[in-house]
Amino acid sequence: MWKATIKGLLAHKLRLALTGLAIVLGVTFVSGTLVLTDTLHNTFTTLFGHIYQNIDFEVRAKAAFTNNGSGTATRKPIPQSIVTAVRGVPGVAYAQGSVTGYAQFIAPDGKAVSTGGAPNIGLSFDPNPQLSSLHLTRGTAPTTSSDVLMDVGTANKYHFRVGQRVRILLSGPPQTFTIRGLVKFGTADNLAGATIAGFDLPTAQRLFGEVGRYDTIDVLAKPGVDKASVQRGIAQVLPAGVEVVTGQTVANEQTNAINQALSFFSTALLVFAFISLFVGGFTIFNTFSIIVGQRTRELALLRVLGASRRQVFRSVLLEATILGIVASLVGLGLGVLTAVGLEALLKGFGITLPSGPLVFESRTVVAALVVGVGVTVVSAVSPARRAVRIPPVAALADYRGGEDESSRRRIVVGTVIAALGIVALAFGLTKPAIQLVGVGALAVFIGVGMLAPVVARPMSSALGRPLAGLLGISGRLGRENSMRSPRRTAQTASALMVGLALVSTIAVFGASLSRSATSSVDQAISADYIVTNPGSGGGGFSGSVATAAARVPGLSAISTVYSGTFEFQNSLSGLTSVSTDHLSQTVILRMVAGRGAPALSAGELLIDSSTANTKHLEVGSVVAVRFAETGSSTMRIGGIFKPNALLGSFVVGDGFFLSHFNNPLAVAVLLRARGGASGAGEAAVTTALKAYPNLTIQTRAQFEKTQQAQVNQLLGLVYALLGLAVVIALIGIVNTLMLSVFERTHEIGLLRAVGMRRRQVRAMIRSESVILSLFGAVIGVVVGTALGVAFAASLKEQGITDIVVPVSNLIVFLIIAALLGLGAASFPARRAAKLDVLAAIAAE
Amino acid sequence: MALTDHAPSAPVLPAARAVDLVKTYGKGDAAVRALDGVNVEFERGRFTAVMGPSGSGKSTLMHCMAGLDVPTSGRTFVGDQEIGLLDDAGLTQMRRDRIGFVFQSFNLVPTLSAGENITLPADLAGTKVDQAWFDFLIDQLGIRDRLSHRPNEMSGGQQQRAACARALISRPDLIFADEPTGNLDSNSSAEMLSFLRRSVTEFGQSIVMVTHDPRGAAHADRVVFLADGQVVGELLSPSADSVLEQMKQLDT
Repeated sequence: MWKATIKGLLAHKLRLALTGLAIVLGVTFVSGTLVLTDTLHNTFTTLFGHIYQNIDFEVRAKAAFTNNGSGTATRKPIPQSIVTAVRGVPGVAYAQGSVTGYAQFIAPDGKAVSTGGAPNIGLSFDPNPQLSSLHLTRGTAPTTSSDVLMDVGTANKYHFRVGQRVRILLSGPPQTFTIRGLVKFGTADNLAGATIAGFDLPTAQRLFGEVGRYDTIDVLAKPGVDKASVQRGIAQVLPAGVEVVTGQTVANEQTNAINQALSFFSTALLVFAFISLFVGGFTIFNTFSIIVGQRTRELALLRVLGASRRQVFRSVLLEATILGIVASLVGLGLGVLTAVGLEALLKGFGITLPSGPLVFESRTVVAALVVGVGVTVVSAVSPARRAVRIPPVAALADYRGGEDESSRRRIVVGTVIAALGIVALAFGLTKPAIQLVGVGALAVFIGVGMLAPVVARPMSSALGRPLAGLLGISGRLGRENSMRSPRRTAQTASALMVGLALVSTIAVFGASLSRSATSSVDQAISADYIVTNPGSGGGGFSGSVATAAARVPGLSAISTVYSGTFEFQNSLSGLTSVSTDHLSQTVILRMVAGRGAPALSAGELLIDSSTANTKHLEVGSVVAVRFAETGSSTMRIGGIFKPNALLGSFVVGDGFFLSHFNNPLAVAVLLRARGGASGAGEAAVTTALKAYPNLTIQTRAQFEKTQQAQVNQLLGLVYALLGLAVVIALIGIVNTLMLSVFERTHEIGLLRAVGMRRRQVRAMIRSESVILSLFGAVIGVVVGTALGVAFAASLKEQGITDIVVPVSNLIVFLIIAALLGLGAASFPARRAAKLDVLAAIAAE
Repeated sequence: MALTDHAPSAPVLPAARAVDLVKTYGKGDAAVRALDGVNVEFERGRFTAVMGPSGSGKSTLMHCMAGLDVPTSGRTFVGDQEIGLLDDAGLTQMRRDRIGFVFQSFNLVPTLSAGENITLPADLAGTKVDQAWFDFLIDQLGIRDRLSHRPNEMSGGQQQRAACARALISRPDLIFADEPTGNLDSNSSAEMLSFLRRSVTEFGQSIVMVTHDPRGAAHADRVVFLADGQVVGELLSPSADSVLEQMKQLDT
């Protein structure tokens, strides 16, 4: 029986190749993502390992907060005096402090240097090559307070040379430095896009507001000593709240932080990969159903000759397995190539990754095979079971196969599955639980797919009527053909339905998000001009900007907005501060209870109403808080405000903030002009702030547009990723049409013999395809819109206040689907038109 | 055609038999009684032809007796095995090991070569064919040079000969042939029929052949006549003329 199976496979290579393509694409996506993340993971692990391999110990403050979430812990700086004590510990060969902070270069053309979201890091440079993470490649170490080292990446990009002067933006006013040398971070030109400025230690301490303090002390032990006892010795001389850890620990922490970011990135990509595979599964299911139908006679003959049901079942599954294996292996190979391409893409965006070899783990192979073969086989099970039910007597010529669709059972099962899916979605959205949402959506798609045949005939009829009118006999026959087998029509269109449903969901969700973002700006800010630093990761800039802005004539209020992290009742939260003078002129705080500006001036905390409700707090409640700099204390709730999307849940006055956070960076400066926003006013502000090229100055309206643009950019990316799923769905349609043409060879031959022109045959196939595509698209858009509305509604609390159905976008999707259907039909249509009339009539 | 010897006094189990076989299609007004109480026995080691006009039920009879279709009432036996008692697995095994089939067309699996088609039942059973027997059949049928070819690369006559080889390779209790020469020209027809005759005479095979061709029926030891779902006549040691004569009589 194996031989018969394999021979069957080889005989229909073309047919199966198209089917396999769907799996190839999905597996490519999966393996590409895995290879890329593994490579990045390995690269960073190596990089940090390399940097910290020589540092034996690091002395630092203990983590400020117990519950740190993702990312590295917040620590406050330690007193400089500790280093003397550390140097005195027996076994210590060398110990030196280091500090880090914000330092952003200004390029020769006057614009600030930033690489798409990566931070701008300032470091103290240690001349001991074993200790410093910076590796001097050109020039010399900085010695004076006006010396700076620049990372090789920035120097190459902007053609900076040693000896050149460069202006640098800091947490204080900007200053000019001389480039003393160029550095690499370990072996990399920069740290994955982050720029690096190196200063000598005393200068760095001054620039980053840490005079008399260090962020860490790095220690080298004498060669040959027992490291553990040296560590114990160091620990003994440290004051409370300060710890000593090994260099390896620090390396691991850094790597873990990066890995967490990477895993978020890779999870997102894998979700899309699985969507593609899900759609691919529909395609496989459809193709195998058709194949089984076409081989009814052959399979019946095997049953006549004595093949048992199990043998037939296994034969079909074996075909699927072999197809899955071959497709997965091809996808694996392509995935590796894709990862290489992705790395090049990232480099084009300025994210230079440290050079490292492509990592190809055995896990990737296993994952690709399991996923590829799994999807193929699972999708082929149902057609295989149908193959088993072919009665042996079907091998005989006069057998009229009962197309007993068992439709009633399918309707019941489909309804049940769809209903369960809706329930799961409802739970998943309200709880919230992302996995339930995913499972629920999956079930809804499968359920709708099973119910689709019910509406296939009437919908095909309706959709085809205009085509029939337009194209005459070709259109009419195309319409008849798509109505002929509702189950086949529905199955073929299912994949496209899923793709379009997802696209529509995103469209509805995105439009709602975008509108909510817009309206929330107007409800959160009353200032006329908003100054931000959108380029640098974290988006901070010097607080001295407000002083510079004060020189602009005609301003009635200025507010500097700071943002930081603190511990609120033992959980990590974000804290925002605003200036209390003329508060209402810059920021809109709709108080529900208590006072606003007066409470802030008094050093009290304001919380939003949803937090107050969740934690059962009211005005006058005293809560436990903890700050990295100043430690634990308590605060009084001075007021409760309506949720404000831009301020977050916790607000304090800037006086309080500045006394509890060391050298913070401002995230925004809000300006209110007496006569409202104007072009002249904006120009005046720009002039006043021209020493700070890292800033963007916008009116409220422009700010809204930027927010919208950001949402749209994200949407664009999501659409692109979903595009793959749509491509796979189209492959399914091409496949079905090809098989259908093959099936109807005799019939087409008859039409041609009777006088149908080639062009009319093509039009017939094309109209069938368009009807098919529109059918899937319409259902998909309807389901997707419903899902999108449900998502948006469930996030009302989180700030999606408006639900928008972008009707024009959805109509565009429908038109695109019809056009894609047209395109998908071109090859099958040509094939059909080229059939030799005589041979076609003679065929079975 | 010489009369073959009758069996000695101990009764020999027939290769297949039907008892009060009834098969109805459809319901109510549209009901068709394809088999209307058929009682028939097919002897071991004999070549029996089943004849009748279209709609006589001869194909239906064969389907029921070969386990391809389920009768409405009555019993059928292959050897001592009552077919109605078997489940699908049992029927399948019986078709694989104990019955051979030759159809009018579409006998061979299109994706396998002739040789692979012939050994197919054995492959399904997981056993090997008797190589000597295989070689003998191939040579007798003259298809050795076609063994590696696919059905679409063979003529109709060659395909039917390959089908014969497959039917005979496992030495089944009974071979059912449904109009095996229907699509062949007269030469290939004659060759095939004489080979079927030889397999009965020389190898002791039992064959039941459904046909409407009197010359084909003349190769048989016995002809059973069906009309309107019932056995209406029988002829021993037929010749083409005697068969024609009998058929004319049945028509009136």
